[in-house]
Amino acid sequence: MTPSNSQAPAATPGRPDRRGVDDYLVIDTVRKEFDGFVAVDDVSINIRKGEIFALLGASGCGKSTLLRALAGFEKPTAGRIILAGQDLTSLPPYQRPVNMMFQSYALFPHMNVEQNIAFGLKQDGASKGDIEKRVAEMLTLVQMSKFAKRKPHQLSGGQQQRVALARSLAKSPKLLLLDEPMGALDKKLRSQMQLELVNIIETLGVTCVMVTHDQEEAMTMAHRIAVMEAGRIRQIGSPDEIYEQPNSRYTAEFIGSVNLFEGKIDKDEKDFVTINSPALPDPIFVAHGVTGFTGMDVAFALRPEKLRISKEEPPEPHNKAHGSIEDIAYFGSHSVYHVRLDRGSKVMCNFVNQQRWASEGFTWNDPVWVSWGDLEGVVLPS
Amino acid sequence: MSARWRRFIPGSRWGLILIPFLWLLLFFAIPFLIALKISFAKAAIAMPPYTDILYWVDGFPVLKLRGENYLYLLGDSLYIKAYLSSLKIAVIATTFCLLIGYPMAYAISQMNPSTRNIALLLVILPSWTSFLIRIYAWVGILKPNGLINNFLMDIGLIDAPLKLLHTPIAVYIGIVYAYLPFMVLPLYTNLVKHDHRLLEAASDLGAKPWQAFLKVTLPLSKAGIIAGCMLVAIPVVGEFVIPEMLGGPDTLMIGRVLWQEFFNNRDWPVASAVAMVMLALLIVPIMIFHRAQSKEMEGRLS
Repeated sequence: MTPSNSQAPAATPGRPDRRGVDDYLVIDTVRKEFDGFVAVDDVSINIRKGEIFALLGASGCGKSTLLRALAGFEKPTAGRIILAGQDLTSLPPYQRPVNMMFQSYALFPHMNVEQNIAFGLKQDGASKGDIEKRVAEMLTLVQMSKFAKRKPHQLSGGQQQRVALARSLAKSPKLLLLDEPMGALDKKLRSQMQLELVNIIETLGVTCVMVTHDQEEAMTMAHRIAVMEAGRIRQIGSPDEIYEQPNSRYTAEFIGSVNLFEGKIDKDEKDFVTINSPALPDPIFVAHGVTGFTGMDVAFALRPEKLRISKEEPPEPHNKAHGSIEDIAYFGSHSVYHVRLDRGSKVMCNFVNQQRWASEGFTWNDPVWVSWGDLEGVVLPS
Repeated sequence: MSARWRRFIPGSRWGLILIPFLWLLLFFAIPFLIALKISFAKAAIAMPPYTDILYWVDGFPVLKLRGENYLYLLGDSLYIKAYLSSLKIAVIATTFCLLIGYPMAYAISQMNPSTRNIALLLVILPSWTSFLIRIYAWVGILKPNGLINNFLMDIGLIDAPLKLLHTPIAVYIGIVYAYLPFMVLPLYTNLVKHDHRLLEAASDLGAKPWQAFLKVTLPLSKAGIIAGCMLVAIPVVGEFVIPEMLGGPDTLMIGRVLWQEFFNNRDWPVASAVAMVMLALLIVPIMIFHRAQSKEMEGRLS
């Protein structure tokens, strides 16, 4: 099997090379069908020990099914799951060294916080003293010692999440699964808990696979992300790889916002290419070679923050276009300008409001120039 | 009309509360008070067959409450035996209802919604025919030349018919049969609401399916178990028709004693006292039932 992140290009300048692969968790061509519908389509992923790995995708992409297969709630139609050298594929959930933090937590409503955390330890037949010690440890870890005797319905959403985390970590699982970990929390609590959760997981060094539909959550929490669509993996990589080097239109559009220019490769040289796009008056100049051929259909992806906006024509000979401001979205820290180019297409352009009142420099219908650096866009063959 | 007056005109809100209150007043409070009154009177050959407890002496009202009916109940071992026997039958029958009803309710709650409705219908369907006819049907099944005995003799398992009818066993069969739906329905309503993910969580934490059942499903269905047991046990204590039709002369139940006092002995005051004591005995389980119910409501709200 080839290392899963071989899809990432060889060392791009300025990006750390993290391609060392450790096969701690091996998901080997796992397939899951429900009555002929393929939910997970021959997915293979290798996950390193201690890694936080996110399965990211829209609902129905198969990410939850894959997670449930890891937990043992779904039996794969084909393929194997190997954790630390042990084949888990045919083991029932209660025999796997895997614990899951459920979406909306699934805390036992008739047990208090302590009893919830102790549940798994009791199943293992640990001694009373050991259980008490471990539960106390876990309560300290998630800062819930004060609430040990409360019932779940007496806790807030954030507190319930801490208890759920403590419960899933109490048995020191070899693999921790998180199902939409922040799904039930409000936005403000979410960003705080994301970092806290990562801190706890990293402190314990537990390997973790999480499922989320929220790209921000995946980018904040995970070391590596797999973007899934229709049961298949579209791309695997670190958050910055996925963002800066998407491998397809799908991932480029799924993660963050992007301006896409459809076009054909015009000049295909070793150290540069030019792309003719009907949306732009001049060819796009890309200062590195691509695997392709002259006349090939490609899309040129440009993140909004890579675009500069100015009133005067930039001095560079290429990679610029003229247009007028059609819409302005003001976010305080930055503004997003929607610029209608002279050839009719619309681009989004982020402008950081580094000086106070900087946003007042541009207003509706202002004629402007947008421009970008020769290395800032990505050529997408698919 | 001024707002001041309008306050005293019953509005729709009042009307809504009024209907159940009126119902309780007419069919519970007033009959209860009448029975209570009679229980403190003395039997008399008159119309109605008891004395007044409130009468006039020299222009003054005199209230005379006689406790002798209650003392009589205590003095005669027949009544105490009848109460104990009724309680025993109720407890045993309820236990059997629970043992049969829980697996039924659990199985129904696990079915997919369309088969579930059919199964529920099958549970309720028998009660669309008359209770009396259904119990009478058991006479036909249990009697010496009834279905069971004929079948057992046909296949040669027995030579002479077994005595089934007019035995305690027949009474238990009848009660369990008749009251099973009252056990299944509250259990089902409880079990069907259970969050499937709790069982997954238990399994994920290392519990085998039967352990997960004992530690999660069973404790969470406590309110349903209590509700079902009370719905069966409380009416069974006062049951009259089933012991009368299926039981023998030795099947002693308080409902039959009540009937005898009322219709055979025409002793209304003692019959009323019997009823009052039965009510007092049942108040304890009714309170437990009520508490369990309100606790479940509380749990659902949170």
